[in-house]
Amino acid sequence: MDMAKTIITVATTGAWPKKENNPNVPMTPQEIANDVYDCWQAGAAVAHLHMRDDDGNGTMSTDKFRETVTLLREQHPDCDVILNLTTSGDLNATDETRQAHLKELRPEMGSYDCGSMNWLNSSLFINHPKFLEALGKNMQEWGVKPEIEAFDPGMIANAAYYLKKGVLKAPLHFQFCMGCANGIPGNMKNLVFMKETMESLCPGSTWSCFGVGHSAMEMLYGAVALGGHIRVGMEDNVMYAKGQLADSNRQFVERAVRVIREYGNEVATPADAREILGLK
Amino acid sequence: MSWGPCFMYYHCEDCGKKFKYAVDMIPVFGDRFGFCPDCGREGAFEQDGARIPNDAEYGEVED
Repeated sequence: MDMAKTIITVATTGAWPKKENNPNVPMTPQEIANDVYDCWQAGAAVAHLHMRDDDGNGTMSTDKFRETVTLLREQHPDCDVILNLTTSGDLNATDETRQAHLKELRPEMGSYDCGSMNWLNSSLFINHPKFLEALGKNMQEWGVKPEIEAFDPGMIANAAYYLKKGVLKAPLHFQFCMGCANGIPGNMKNLVFMKETMESLCPGSTWSCFGVGHSAMEMLYGAVALGGHIRVGMEDNVMYAKGQLADSNRQFVERAVRVIREYGNEVATPADAREILGLK
Repeated sequence: MSWGPCFMYYHCEDCGKKFKYAVDMIPVFGDRFGFCPDCGREGAFEQDGARIPNDAEYGEVED
């Protein structure tokens, strides 16, 4: 019998952590390109990328995305990692700048945040229905598979609505974002609930998850045990363990590889991941 | 997009200790959330956020 294959996604940078929080967070296009290659060598099949401006703040600059992708492809032509570019890297970005890089660069995947929420009790993370409808249709036209980021069960219900409306196309792939402020808390009971909600509303979908802070390890083990996939990296956690800053994103990927293998699963290669996710 | 764990930052007006609680630990600590781990006094709230620049000065209170 074939072993189950688990996809590791590495989220290298995010829009939030800075060098003051962890000096090992990759920030520049060159740092991010090097980091993605390093993580791919360690076992990551998917790289979820955010960009930073020259001051270290999150940006949706197409120039930064282009530079990073170009560096990765030119310097590491052997790297077949699946690129998943964010559409939510700057709270002040426009609907246009949130998708311009997808149109130009045509990555295999892009994030799709399926609802709006309060942001750190201080701002708003807006994903207007008009934006989501346009983004879903554009991603279909551009051949970019959406990764449905769900911060709570309502966002799964929203994805089901867009599926019925044709804005999204089955099979969907979800990223359950567990333990984020104002989202669903990260614990096993809630992870099971997210999975079961997905299975009832969007049957046939695949899923991955990550946990921030205290829930990171519980979500890692839970994803593997429940047949999902896992995301790790400094976008979600700058600490590797209690009181220990992460040395690198590779360190997180290597831990995920160990957990997956100890459980008895196989770490999915990018080719495996393309098959699992239905990428062309 | 995520922003990592969100914390609430405090200091103790008795012993001066600086400490922080992760917001996702509210159900774990319950009524003890925000209290000084050393002397047990309710902490003086300073601010909240996802790892402020001087985050390392605040000891995280663990279960």
